[in-house]
Amino acid sequence: MLLNIKNLTKRFGGLTAVSNVSFGIERGEIIGIFGPNGSGKTTTLSLIAGILKPTSGEIVWKGEVINALTPFEVAQQGLVKTFQNPQLFPELTVAEHMRIACHLHVKRALGLGRLKTLLGKGATGDLEKTLSKKIDQMLELCRLYKHRNDEAGALSYGGEKMLGVAMGMVCDPELLLLDEPASGLGHDEITNLDAVLRDLKTHGVTLCIIDHKVGFLGRLADRSIALHHGAVIASGTTAEVLANDAVVTAYLGKKHA
Amino acid sequence: MRLAILGGLLVALIAPWFVKSDSTLAIAIYGFMAASLAVSFNLIFGFSGQLSMFHAASFGVSAYVVTILVTSYGWNFWLAIPCALALVVVLSLIVGTICFRFKLKEFYFAVVTLAFSEVLRLITLNWNSVTNGSLGITVVEKPALWTPWGTLTFSSGVSWYYVTLALLVVVFVICQRVLGSWIGQCLAAIRLNDQLGETLGIDVFKYKLLSFAIGSALAGLVGAFYGFYAGFVEPHYLSITLGLDIVAMVLLGGINSLIGPVIGALLLTALPHMIELSAELRIALYGAILIFVILVMPKGIMGLLSSRKNAA
Repeated sequence: MLLNIKNLTKRFGGLTAVSNVSFGIERGEIIGIFGPNGSGKTTTLSLIAGILKPTSGEIVWKGEVINALTPFEVAQQGLVKTFQNPQLFPELTVAEHMRIACHLHVKRALGLGRLKTLLGKGATGDLEKTLSKKIDQMLELCRLYKHRNDEAGALSYGGEKMLGVAMGMVCDPELLLLDEPASGLGHDEITNLDAVLRDLKTHGVTLCIIDHKVGFLGRLADRSIALHHGAVIASGTTAEVLANDAVVTAYLGKKHA
Repeated sequence: MRLAILGGLLVALIAPWFVKSDSTLAIAIYGFMAASLAVSFNLIFGFSGQLSMFHAASFGVSAYVVTILVTSYGWNFWLAIPCALALVVVLSLIVGTICFRFKLKEFYFAVVTLAFSEVLRLITLNWNSVTNGSLGITVVEKPALWTPWGTLTFSSGVSWYYVTLALLVVVFVICQRVLGSWIGQCLAAIRLNDQLGETLGIDVFKYKLLSFAIGSALAGLVGAFYGFYAGFVEPHYLSITLGLDIVAMVLLGGINSLIGPVIGALLLTALPHMIELSAELRIALYGAILIFVILVMPKGIMGLLSSRKNAA
């Protein structure tokens, strides 16, 4: 198992945001986590990414407990998260964003050999070529190639979110955590996102997507988990979860269920 | 841009043949040292986004250490420099670790680094047996450089002119190398959005500390030479006044450029001498220029130049 979450709990003072959540993710699958607003989806993702520290429970990544790691260490382990509200580097172009996101590549490829580049030595020409090819491919895949020299702030909201996915992907993550990638997007943008994520799946990327839009996840996810008030109320194939009584009740209330 | 910088350097290299006035030469020498301080400060401030008030302390501590090692212990000047720099790096790592571990940013970072800087200033002021207190230490020794063509003693104005110009070039090239490398990219990421940088695998703490240590060490390098040119070291070297002067130079020149602080430093060093003001008015002028720059051209002279160029 690639990622194994065991009895994860997070309390903020008297509020239990995530309560005793357990689930696992296998390599190559797309996992959906859904639930209404305030059900603990984003908190769960932030716990996995090391942005928040769990109150109790374990996050096991490839057999090792990673509870104590900082966000950049988690990213170095191959677990990358995107943000619900697009996060950008103001002033920089789309391509420059992507170049910064290649940080881990440069680190892996050169290691301490990076110090040589300070003296103007070391074979970086090939690496730069590989990286710019990789960046172009990823921008092409995410339908951002024609905007590569635009300032990222000038992109549409959907474009900014897509840039977040592209930056996450160019890190070559083993697992990409997507925080509500579809929220705030128009119909066309969702269709586009859907196509991009399907492309990623064919490239063998493992995805964990959270969203409160059931329809979007229903088309995409192999397996799903439903959260309500911080606890898992259903898990299984996406169709099973969507048919689950507790899930329907959580979304629509008892009266309409 | 590159051509303009090289042209400026060429003019600076041949200037002593035409400029015979000692006072003009002295202004240039102080200007070069101020510019070196401003360029190294901007690595921490403009390029990494950390408003350090520790720069004057790094400069002053190094000036004291080198002076004391040479005058009291008879060390060789060139041997004393690495020792002073090592101490400055250790101090900056301690101060930086404390500040960055507690995630101090902007004014909180400025206030805490200022506090550390004041502690060091008070030590130099009160540790009479070593630092001679408020009187400072007079330096009569002149550093010498052994060349294949004989010993070159830094005593004349012209020799100091070239030494300090070389110092500026060294500091400039080091900063340029660092900023042009992957380190510069990480620093930009941290300055613009450290949370995003961190989720992309950038060790924010390490790179903040690295830029703080490199910038402080370069300030120490300037300090090592300064006392020997000025002929004395005193606790005032570590004062907030110097720290703010450097901020003013960088803001005037432009915080988003490497060459901007050089222009700002040369202008602010030369300006008071040109209009011959008393010390009090000089400080008032600094204040006025700071206010003017922030109001009229927040990106400084270089910012103004590049926006003109884009508009044209």
